[in-house]
Amino acid sequence: MPETLHAAIPENEDREPFMTENTMPRASGDLPELPAREDLPSVADALREETSFATVVHPELIQEEALVEIERFSLWYGAKRALWDISMAIPKGKVTALIGPSGCGKSTLLRSVNRMNDLIDTVRIDGDMRLDGESIYGRNVDVIELRKRMGMVFQKPNPFPMSIFENVVYPLRIEGVKDKKILRSVAERSLRGAALWEEAEPRLRESALGLSGGQQQRLCIARAVAGEPEVLLMDEPCSALDPVATSKIEDLIEELKGDYTILMVTHNMQQAARVSEYTAFMYLGRLVEYGPTDRIFTQPLCSETEDYITGRFG
Amino acid sequence: MSETRVQPRRVKSSRRGVRVADRVSHWVITLGGIGTIVSVLMVCVVLVWVVLPLFAGGEVSGRTEVQVAATSGDVVRVGEDEYRTIGFSIDRQGHLRSFLLDDGTTIVETPLSSLGPASAVSFSPGSNEFGLGFADGRVVLGRLEFTTSYLDAKDLPEDLRTLPEGKSRPHGQGVLQRTSIGQYRQQALQVVTDDPVDLGVGGPIRLFDQTTTSSGRLAAAMDDQGRLFVRRFQVEYDMLEDEETTVVVGGALDVASVEQEKTGNWSLPDHLALSSLGDTVYLIWNSGRLLRVDARDVEKPVLAESLSLFPGEKGRRVTALAPLLGRSSLLVGDDLGRLGVWFRTKPPDAPNPDGIVMRRGHLIAGRDAALTAIASSGRSRVVALGFDDGGIRIVHVTGEGVIADIPPPGDAGPALAVALAPKEDGLLALYPRKAASWALDVGYPEASFKAYFGKVWYEEHVKPEYVWQSSSGTDEFEPKLSLVPLIFGTVKATIYSLLFGVPLALLAAVFTSEFMHPKWKRRIKPTLELMASLPSVVLGFIAGLVISPFLEKHVPQALVAVYLIPFFFLLGSQLWQGLSPRWSSRLGVLRGVFLVFAVALGVQAAGVVGPFAERVFFAGDLRLWLDGQGGDATGGWLLMVLPACVLAAWAVVALPFRRTWERWTGLGSRGRAAALEVVRFLAGSGLAVGLAWGVAVLLTAAGFDPRGSVLGTYVQRNALVVGFAMGFAIIPIIYTLADDALSSVPQHLRAASLGCGATPWQTASRVVIPTAMSGIFSAVMIGLGRAVGETMIVLMAAGNTPIMDWNVFNGFRTLSANIAEELPEAVKDSTHYRTLFLAALVLFVMTLVLNTVAEVVRQRFRRRATRL
Repeated sequence: MPETLHAAIPENEDREPFMTENTMPRASGDLPELPAREDLPSVADALREETSFATVVHPELIQEEALVEIERFSLWYGAKRALWDISMAIPKGKVTALIGPSGCGKSTLLRSVNRMNDLIDTVRIDGDMRLDGESIYGRNVDVIELRKRMGMVFQKPNPFPMSIFENVVYPLRIEGVKDKKILRSVAERSLRGAALWEEAEPRLRESALGLSGGQQQRLCIARAVAGEPEVLLMDEPCSALDPVATSKIEDLIEELKGDYTILMVTHNMQQAARVSEYTAFMYLGRLVEYGPTDRIFTQPLCSETEDYITGRFG
Repeated sequence: MSETRVQPRRVKSSRRGVRVADRVSHWVITLGGIGTIVSVLMVCVVLVWVVLPLFAGGEVSGRTEVQVAATSGDVVRVGEDEYRTIGFSIDRQGHLRSFLLDDGTTIVETPLSSLGPASAVSFSPGSNEFGLGFADGRVVLGRLEFTTSYLDAKDLPEDLRTLPEGKSRPHGQGVLQRTSIGQYRQQALQVVTDDPVDLGVGGPIRLFDQTTTSSGRLAAAMDDQGRLFVRRFQVEYDMLEDEETTVVVGGALDVASVEQEKTGNWSLPDHLALSSLGDTVYLIWNSGRLLRVDARDVEKPVLAESLSLFPGEKGRRVTALAPLLGRSSLLVGDDLGRLGVWFRTKPPDAPNPDGIVMRRGHLIAGRDAALTAIASSGRSRVVALGFDDGGIRIVHVTGEGVIADIPPPGDAGPALAVALAPKEDGLLALYPRKAASWALDVGYPEASFKAYFGKVWYEEHVKPEYVWQSSSGTDEFEPKLSLVPLIFGTVKATIYSLLFGVPLALLAAVFTSEFMHPKWKRRIKPTLELMASLPSVVLGFIAGLVISPFLEKHVPQALVAVYLIPFFFLLGSQLWQGLSPRWSSRLGVLRGVFLVFAVALGVQAAGVVGPFAERVFFAGDLRLWLDGQGGDATGGWLLMVLPACVLAAWAVVALPFRRTWERWTGLGSRGRAAALEVVRFLAGSGLAVGLAWGVAVLLTAAGFDPRGSVLGTYVQRNALVVGFAMGFAIIPIIYTLADDALSSVPQHLRAASLGCGATPWQTASRVVIPTAMSGIFSAVMIGLGRAVGETMIVLMAAGNTPIMDWNVFNGFRTLSANIAEELPEAVKDSTHYRTLFLAALVLFVMTLVLNTVAEVVRQRFRRRATRL
C-alpha cells in the first residue's frame, strides 16, 4: 500500500461526531419536519461554484445505528476530484443502495470503504471513514485485517480458477486455516447462505469456471460471506447477469439482510427499490439525497433526485 | 411516368477490384503459410537425407572369378593395387607372384629378397610393408610399391591400342589398362627392399615382426631355440665415408627356458606380433596360449602376462591371427569361425606388474567353419574374414556389425587369404586354384544405433563406455562416435543454467508484475529485455575470458558469496523495516541504494570469509580439496546441505509460532517489532548453519563424500561459469514472457483476492501465479529451448570436453557446440560429417519433444484458466 496515503490524511483525532455537520440535527423521539424543496440548497449551485454539497438526509436515518460512518470524505484521481466531502452513515443490518448516473462516484465511494482504491496509484483522499467506531483511514490501520471485516462482491463474477470449494474457503485459507472439518462446514454454510449449496454440492471439487454466470456470482457472494464479514460491499452485483439470475441474487440479498450490513451500488433503480431499505442518490461526486428507499422513490426532496428517478436524466 | 430520382446506381455484385484483391490476398497468404511450413519441414528433410545413408549398410557386387596357377606353398598374404588391376600373393617362403586380376595370368613370379627363401615373413596391417627373416639370422625389410604411368597411344602396339575400356593386359613390367576416359594407364608392381640387417641372433629366425615408430624401426624375432630378441634399428651416419649404416641394439629373453620352468613343456609359438610402439611382443600358440612380453626397455624384455585366448573353453584352436590396423588390437580367429579382438587395458586393479591386462573386447560370430584368413583394411576398422568353407564375411570391429556376408563360391575350397582393396572398394580372395574378386561398398561401417547411443568397448578401454572422439591425426585411430556424452553435456548445460536463471527470472517477473511501482516497471522491463539482444558470442566471450579466469582465482569467495549475498540482502531489508515510518517514507528512494549497499557488503564479506572458509574447511586449498587431495568431506557437505537446512531452520523458527510471534511483535512499537524480527532472522541463520554443520559432520562420519559427484576437480571452463553466463542469456526471455503472463491475469481476480483480505503476496502466490501458470510454464520451456540450442556461450565457456560428469566444476561439450566446432573440418559426406548431421537431428528431435511436452502441459494448465 502506498505510503503517501497515510501522509495525505490530516491528523484530526478530535473530530466531531457524525451527523452534526449535516443539515439535519440529531434528534431523538419524533422526526423533524421535512424542509420545503425551495429551502434546500441547490446542487446546481454547488456544481457551478465547484464546491461540495450538503446532503439532504431524511430524518428516519437518525434512528438507525450506524455501522460504517463516512465523514467528509473526498477523493481525487490525480487532479480530478471524484468525491466531494461525502458524509453518510450506513445503518447496521440494513441494505443501503447507492444510485446515480454513470460517473457519479458511487463505485469509487464503495471501493473507498474497504480501501480498494489504495491499489490505484494516483488516488489521494481526504477525510475519514469509521467501521464500528474504528478509523479506516487512520495511520496505524492494518488494511489487510480491515478488508477481512468486509466482504466484497464485484460487478462481474470473478471466481478464482480453482475448485468451487477452494473458492469459498479462500478467506479461510489466507488466514491459514487447515482444519478440514472447519473448512468443510464453512463452505457448506456459506454456500447454503448464498443459495448455491444444492447446485454446487455434487461438484465441489470441480472448477468454479464451469458454473454459469449467475452461479458464479452467488459463489462470489458465498466467498464474501465465508470470512464472516461485518459489511458486504456489492458493486453492481447483477449488472452482468440475465434477469433470472438477477432475481435469484436479489432474493439472496433479501435473505442476507439482517445478518449483514449491505452497501450496494446499483444502476438499476427498480432493483434499488426492490431490495434496499435506504437509498443514497449521488450526482457528480456529491451525495445529494439519502433516505428510506420508499421516500426517495416516492417523495424525493431534491429536484435532481426526482429528475433522476423519473428518468429525466441519467 | 414516374419522376426521376438521383441516387447511386445499385451494384448487384462486388466490384471487380475488390474480388481480385480478395483472391490475390487469399493466394499470397496461403502460399506464405504453406511456404513457412514447407521450409521448416525442409530443414528436417535435409537432416534426415544426410543422415539416412549412415544406416544403409554395405554391399558387395560384381563377382569375378579367375583361374590362377596353383600356389606352391602356404599363401600368407594377398593384395591388389588401388586401380584393381594387379593382384599378388606371397607365400610363407617370401615368394611373390603377381597376376592380372582380369584373367589370372601370372605377370611376375619372384622371391621378395635376393637372399632366397625366407624362414619368417611378416606384414604390417593395412599396408604393403613386409619383413623377412632368414635362416642365417639376417632380416630384410621392404615394401611392395605400385607405380602408375600414363602412356601415349602411339607408343603402344596395335592390339593394346584397341583394348576395350576398363580391360587390362600385361605390358612390359606391368599391366596396361584402358581407363573409362580412354587413357592408357600402366601399373607396375615393384619390390623395394632395404639392405639385409643382421639381428645378431646367431641362428635361424623362425618368427619375426617389425614396426615403424617415430623414433625408428623396432623388430622382434624368435629363433628356433625359443629365444626372443627385441631390436631397435639405429641409422648411423659416417661423415667421412658419407654413408649410412644401420646398427641394431637390444636384448633377448629366453622364453623357452622360462616356459620350460613354468609349465614343463615347450614348443615354438605359432605367431609373433609387435605392438605399434614396439613396447609389447605377443607370442601366440595355436592352442590359444598367449604370452605378453613387456619390451618397453629394448635391452631387457620381460615376461608380463600369460593367458588363454579361449577363457573357459576347451579344445579351441587359433586358426588365424593378425594385428588390427594400428596394431593395438590382436585379431584372433578360431576353429568355430569366431573372431576375438584382444587388446591391452589398464584397469585400476590389474594383477600384473606393469598394470596392464589383456582383455577380449569383442567376440564376433562368423560362419560355421574355421576362420582361415584375416585382412585388415588400411583405412578403417573394417576387416575381411575368410573361412574354411570358402565363405567370406566383412565386419566392422568396433561396432561388431556385419557389412557383407558372401557365401562360398561353389567348390572353391577354403579361403587361403583375403584382402581389402586400398580404397575399400574391392575384395580379393585366394582359393587353392582360383582367385575371386568383388566390388565392395562398405557404406558407413562406423555408424550404427549402438555406436551412437550404446556403450561400446573401444580399443584399450577397460570397459564398454560412451565416448565421443571423432577424429585424430591418423587413419589408425579408432573413431568413437557416441552421442551420449554430447546429449549429456547439453542436458548438463541446460540444467545448470536453468538452476541459475529460472528462479531469478521468475522472481523478477513476480516482483515487477505484482509489487513494483508501474512507473519503475515501465523503465526496468525494457532494460531487461535489452539484455536479450546481447549477442550470445559476447556473453560467451565474457564468460570464457573474463569470468572463468576471475572465478578460478576466487573459488572459495564465490562459493561463500552464494550464501553471504542473500544473507546480507535479507539482513539489509530487515534493518530497513526497523526504520520509523517517518524516516522510511522520507528516504523511500534510498531503499534501493541501501539494499545495493547491503549486497556490496555481502560481496566484501565473501572476500573476507572465503579464504577463512578455505583454511578451515578445505585444508587450506579448495582446488586441491576438490581434487580429492587432503581434507575431509565436511566443508563440501556444509555447502551442499545448507539450502535444505535454511528451509528446515525457517520451518522450525517461523512456522510453528506464527500466531504467537505476530501477537508478540504486534505488542510494542514498530522499532521493537523490527528488532525482534532481526533477532529472529539472525537466530534462524545461525540455526541453519549449525544444522548444516551437524548434518555435514554426520554425513562425513558415515563415510559419504560429495567429491566425485556434483563436486570434483576444478577446471577453469566449467558448468558453473556456463550456468551463470547462459542463465544470464535466458533470464530476459523467461522474465519477459513470465511477466506478460502474470500481467495478463485479469485485474478483477487480484481485486477479488485483496477484497477477501489477502496480502499482496498471498494474492500473487495463491491466485495470480496459479492462474498464470501456463504462461510461466511456457516461458520456462522457451528458456529451456534456448538453453538446449545455445551454441556460442557453451562453445566459448564450457571447455568442450566430451565427458560425462555432473561435477559443477568440470566442463562438458554440448551437441550444438560440437557441431559448430567440428563441422568445418569434417570431410563432406564422410561418416564424421553425417554423424554431425545426426547430432543436429538429435538436437532437433530433443527440442521438438521438449516443445511438444511443453505445449501439452501448457494446454492442460490453460484449460483450467480459460473462461476468465
